[in-house]
Amino acid sequence: MFEYGTTLAASVNSDTQQIARSLRQGNVIFLQQLVGQYQYRLVRYLIYLLGRRDEVDDLVQETWLRVLERGSSYNGRSRFEPWLFTIARNLAIDHLRKGRTFSLDSNDEGEQDTALQTPASHAPSPFTLAARTEDAERLAGSLQLLEPIYREALVLRFQEELSLQEISGVVGAPVATVASRIYRGLRTLRSRLEGGNHEI
Amino acid sequence: MRSDDHESFQRRIDETLAGEIAVGEEESLREHLGSCTQCQEYLAAGTRVIAGLGGFSFDVDPALQEKVYASISLRAQRIESRQPSRRRMAWICITALLLSAAGSFIDLQFGGLIASVLDMHRTQMRHGLLTFWILPSFCFLLLFPILPLLSHRKERVL
Repeated sequence: MFEYGTTLAASVNSDTQQIARSLRQGNVIFLQQLVGQYQYRLVRYLIYLLGRRDEVDDLVQETWLRVLERGSSYNGRSRFEPWLFTIARNLAIDHLRKGRTFSLDSNDEGEQDTALQTPASHAPSPFTLAARTEDAERLAGSLQLLEPIYREALVLRFQEELSLQEISGVVGAPVATVASRIYRGLRTLRSRLEGGNHEI
Repeated sequence: MRSDDHESFQRRIDETLAGEIAVGEEESLREHLGSCTQCQEYLAAGTRVIAGLGGFSFDVDPALQEKVYASISLRAQRIESRQPSRRRMAWICITALLLSAAGSFIDLQFGGLIASVLDMHRTQMRHGLLTFWILPSFCFLLLFPILPLLSHRKERVL
């Protein structure tokens, strides 16, 4: 058995306070350092969220501008990543809602009706292009078909190593719902990896 | 073992992978895994999925970082230009304070003299100084520290 140890207590320290202080002061140099540090993770998160690559760069740029403008709202008492991803998520949702009828969020608490897919892109799947291992190649197709909310839960838990409480804060859903999304995502991908067909 | 027992343990395996399992349940799960091949395979498959998720590497356009840097700098300049500098604020406050003090001093020391020169009643003179000099200066002194806060709140709403 292995553990994804929560590091919340260790992370809420002088680093987060320094980030909060610098954002409050509008320190552009420091913000640019944050860009270099978190850029890839932000891109990855948005790709998982949207399931496409072509609109991510604009959202990344907009996210950092929003960080600059609203930096004073980050208090440094929690990790920076959940706050950053929350901003990115809200921008992605606004982007999807503009002139579209799609939503990332499920309207059914029981999640019988899963969230609608983002519109299909004719571009190659970003997961297929990004797969570097054999298992990743096998998972790429299923990831593309997986509901955005399940993909999001998986990347936040297993790639960003956010706690369930932190993920709950980012996505605006109860912890139990977050856990349920992780389970369903895992089960779907597990069956794919094992070669079975699992109804999404 | 019954299938619903497996489902129960598989649920616990999912909870473990998600980091949610209670300590007591984790112990019973360990014991079960020691003897159940099916659940061992279930755990292994879940572990493999999680490892597989780590097998993706997304390309990031190097130009994106420069583009973000440039847009941040530009936006920061715009924000800065909309906000009066602190030093300017301090000078305005000091000037307003000095004007208030000066008006009060003139009223107290020379009010009678000025009133007689202008052929006015002393009270009228005082009211004039208050209305057109002391009170406006004092209002500037109070308002200027608040104005940036008001404009900042407006920007946040936008």
